[in-house]
Amino acid sequence: MRVAQARRFVISDHPLPWLLPLVAILLVFTVYPLVYNIWLSFHEFVPRRRALEFVGTENWVQLWNDTRFWQSLVITFTYFAIALIFELVLGMAIALLLDSDGFGFGFLRGVLTMTLVIPPAIVGMMYLLMEDPQFGVISYLLQSIGLLNSNNPILATASTALAGVLVAEIWQWTPFMVLIFLAGLRALPPEPYEAAMIDGASSFQIFRRITLPMMSKVIAIAVLVRGIDLFRVFDYVFVMTSGGPGASTYSLSLYAWQQTFSFVKWGYGATLSLVTLVIILVIANLFIRIAKVRW
Amino acid sequence: MNGSFSTRMLRTIAAWVVVAIFFFPIYYWTSVAFKHGNDIFNRPPKLFAFTPTFDNFQKVFGISLGSGGITVTPGGGNFYMAPRVWDSIVIATLSTVLAVAIATLAAYALSRMNFRGRHSFVGWVLSTRMMPPVAVAVPMFFIYKNFGLIDTYTGMVLIHALMNLPLAVLLMKSFFDDIPSEIDESAIVDGASRFMIFRRIVLPMAKGGIAATAVLCFIFSWTEFLFALTLTTTSLKTVPVVSSTFVTSIGTAWGNMAALGAASIIPAFIFILLVQKHLVRGLTMGSLKQ
Repeated sequence: MRVAQARRFVISDHPLPWLLPLVAILLVFTVYPLVYNIWLSFHEFVPRRRALEFVGTENWVQLWNDTRFWQSLVITFTYFAIALIFELVLGMAIALLLDSDGFGFGFLRGVLTMTLVIPPAIVGMMYLLMEDPQFGVISYLLQSIGLLNSNNPILATASTALAGVLVAEIWQWTPFMVLIFLAGLRALPPEPYEAAMIDGASSFQIFRRITLPMMSKVIAIAVLVRGIDLFRVFDYVFVMTSGGPGASTYSLSLYAWQQTFSFVKWGYGATLSLVTLVIILVIANLFIRIAKVRW
Repeated sequence: MNGSFSTRMLRTIAAWVVVAIFFFPIYYWTSVAFKHGNDIFNRPPKLFAFTPTFDNFQKVFGISLGSGGITVTPGGGNFYMAPRVWDSIVIATLSTVLAVAIATLAAYALSRMNFRGRHSFVGWVLSTRMMPPVAVAVPMFFIYKNFGLIDTYTGMVLIHALMNLPLAVLLMKSFFDDIPSEIDESAIVDGASRFMIFRRIVLPMAKGGIAATAVLCFIFSWTEFLFALTLTTTSLKTVPVVSSTFVTSIGTAWGNMAALGAASIIPAFIFILLVQKHLVRGLTMGSLKQ
């Protein structure tokens, strides 16, 4: 009887059996870590006793007074903003350029997808070599046109290190924007363009008044998807600079990771990663509301 | 919008130049893989004029190209990386299978069944995509340690499947949404059960979508860094993680690393070309259809 009932339930129209595996794995791997992180943020590992001890709100107070944390917050936002602006503008420009049925354009679009399949950690290593002050091809180029002094290696100088990391980031993810925008551009209806041509509008006016507004949904989605990843940046900085020189390239994720795994500050690391999580959730959900992105 | 011949010409040239700039690092990286040490450390950097060598590939993959054709000699050198490539393939493949299986079930329900809180449920799935890996990796490290899951395929497969689930669910939902629900309804009238419809009708119709989802899951697992770095120590490592460890006391083994990197891009690139039709939809988690 029980078996028959269970069987009827499983094959019925109830969504639960279908969603159960997903819910189970999401609960175990997201809700549990979340709860554990919150618990951990009120504890700290005491090396002397080799144990976690309850420390109350100490980690949160430390967070508030930690200049390194505020600095990494600023660095993360800077990285986020600069990368997003460059990727959006370059992505749109290149998409407009490649939006053609001419010979070879399909091939060019295919070549651009290549950057997306390379592990970011390997891209970081690639640019580490290319930005090497002695053998690096980018450093060589910049030095020979006088933009860079050979005494100031890109990634070992506080003022240029973040830019050096951003180059790798923008190189890898501008094609992501290009592909999304191209798909958007190709789906636009031709009628408004024809009307604008008849009215004698300039190509900039057409872009400003027709293309941009019609592409707003596509742009919003691209910003959301890329923005989430940008805010969690870890791979490039870990591989290329480890946060240095000084603290000039510390992202929030890297700072949290290092506190936990390099400095054995388990509680403080958990506090930092919680803060990162909360900031992303708040910003992303606000953005979804404001931009009216729907799934 | 087509303009005269000269503007079209100009546009074509500009397009090739821009793409060439983006392609250059990949070319340069691949050239490093075929260079001898002294050619890598040359100033000015050698772009085209160098004597190609297979030494790097030989060291990394244990393959040598002699006069007698290709011979495979698995070595035990420091930079012999074939087992790491195997680790990456196993983890990426199994986590993809797991993620796609769970996601298609859930996505079917989210696409076809009306229930209270469906919208919030989709929102919850989406918000799990926003979790920073570091916020998951830190607690997972301690849990994995307790359960002995560090350095195991099981541990890595589970975490990569989890990482890909939100994408896979939203993407598969968008593919199911494309299949008219009248098909399901008429089958129900004919007395078919939900599961039968799912297996016999909807799944075969969504084959292309499943392939695209699987390819993206595979690539994201293949390229993932933070979880692999945190949850493996010695006996198990993925390609991105070992690539960052080619630094030795006498300098970085750039040639060997480039060989590994260049070779690891090829399968992923072939896969992505196969599903290019659905690529943008995949990259935007199903919200933009091509």
